[in-house]
Amino acid sequence: MAVTLEVVDVGKDFLIPIIDRVSFTVEAGEFVCLLGPNGCGKTTLLRIIGGLEPPTRGRVVLGGHRVGVVFQEDRLLPWLTVRKNVELVLKPVGLGPTERRETAARYLGMAGLAGFEDYYPGRVSGGMRQRAAIARALAVEPDVLLMDEPFGALDAQNRRIMQREVRRIWRETGRTIVFVTHSIEEAVEIGTTLIMLSARPARIRELIRNDGRVERAKLVDDLNTIIMEEVERQQGGRLA
Amino acid sequence: MLPSPRSVLIGLVEVVRSGEVWTHTAASLFRIVFGFGAAVVVSVLMGLGAFLSRAVRTVVQDALAVLNSTSVFVWIVISLIWFGLSNWAPIFTTFMITLPVVASNLVEGVAGVDRRLLEMGDVYRLSGGEKFTAIVIPSTVPYLIAGMKVGFGLALKVSVVAEIFGVTTGIGYIMNYSREILATQMVFAWALVMILVMMATDKLVFDAAARRLTRWR
Repeated sequence: MAVTLEVVDVGKDFLIPIIDRVSFTVEAGEFVCLLGPNGCGKTTLLRIIGGLEPPTRGRVVLGGHRVGVVFQEDRLLPWLTVRKNVELVLKPVGLGPTERRETAARYLGMAGLAGFEDYYPGRVSGGMRQRAAIARALAVEPDVLLMDEPFGALDAQNRRIMQREVRRIWRETGRTIVFVTHSIEEAVEIGTTLIMLSARPARIRELIRNDGRVERAKLVDDLNTIIMEEVERQQGGRLA
Repeated sequence: MLPSPRSVLIGLVEVVRSGEVWTHTAASLFRIVFGFGAAVVVSVLMGLGAFLSRAVRTVVQDALAVLNSTSVFVWIVISLIWFGLSNWAPIFTTFMITLPVVASNLVEGVAGVDRRLLEMGDVYRLSGGEKFTAIVIPSTVPYLIAGMKVGFGLALKVSVVAEIFGVTTGIGYIMNYSREILATQMVFAWALVMILVMMATDKLVFDAAARRLTRWR
C-alpha cells in the first residue's frame, strides 16, 4: 500500500522540549490512534502534521496536500447554516456552486445530518455539531483526516455512538485518519494502528497493530499499564 | 419654573402643524448624518487597521482613550475657533465625540474575533478575502451596531449643544431661542421631539438591523 503520511524525526520545543523525536509512516487507508499521558504532546504532534505549527526538528511528508481537521471544538461558523459551513470550505477546492451544494449534501447525509442542513449550529446538539465538523472535514476529500479528541466534549453515550459512526465513515470512504485521544478504550475500539507516546518529551513508546490478534481486553490492560508507567516516570522525574 | 403638560403638548402640536418641527429636526439630522457618518467611516478604517496590524491596534486604542476623555466643550470651542460660526461646528463636534465610542467598540470586536475560527479558515485554505467576509465581518458587525447605537444617541445630544452657537436652524438652536424669549413650554416640547427622534431611530434602525444580522442566534 502507498505511504500517505511520513513523520520523520519530528521534534518540538516550547522553551522546554515537548516532543523529543518521533518517526512513523502511515499507509493509505490506515486508522491511526495517537495515545499518551496527558500533556505529552499528542495535540502538538497532530498540529505539526496538519501544518498548523512548524516542527523545531524533522519534517512531515504528506502524500497529497489536502488535510481535513476535526478539532476538540466544532469550530463551525455560528452565523452560517450547517450546509453553508460545509460549502464554504469547498470554495478553495475549486468546486462550482452546484457541485458545492451536492458535495455538502452528500457528506452531511453520510454524517447523519440529512434533514438538518438548513439549521444554524446553535440550534442543534453538540453531537450534531461535531457530526457537521466531520462532514466538513470529509467534504474536501482530504488525503489525511486529522481528529483531535473530537468527542472530548460529548457525554459517554454520544461518544460511543460517534465512535461507531466514525468507524463506519472510515470504512465507507477509505480515508486515512490520524486520531488523537486520551482514552485507551476508544483507541482500541476504533484504531487499526495504535501509537503510544511516552511522557514528555514525547517519543514513541509502543506501536501496535490492532488487527484482532491480541484480544481487546488484554490490549486495553497492557496499554493502561504502559500509560501508568509513563505517568509515574514523569512524576518521578519531576520530584528528582 | 415648570410649564404645564398641557402647554407643552399644545406647543408640540403647534410646531408639528406649522411644519417647523421638520425644518429643525431635518437640520439637526443633516449635521448628524455628516458628523456621525464620517465617524463611522473612520471607525471602520481604524477597525481594519487594528485587524491587519497589532501595532496599529495599540496606537488606535491609545488615541481613542485620549479622545474618549476629552470634553464636548473642548471640541465646541476648538471648532468655533477653526470654523467660525457655521454648520461645521456641530458637524465637527459630533464627529470628534462619536468617533471614540464607535471605534473603540469596533476595535474591541476586531480583537475578539475567535482565533480558532481563523485557524479553521487556514486549515481549509480560505483566502484572506474569504476569511474576512466569512469570519471577521460577521463577528464584528454586532459590535459595530452596538457602537453605532450608543454613538447616534450621543451624536444627537452633542450636536444639539453645538447648535447653540452660530447656526440658525436645528433643535439646539430653537431650544436656545425659546429659552431667550422665555417660552419654556417650547423648550420642553423640543426636548420631547428629540426623545421621539432618538427612540424612533433606536427601534426602527439599530434594533431592526441588529435583529436582521443576528438571526442565527
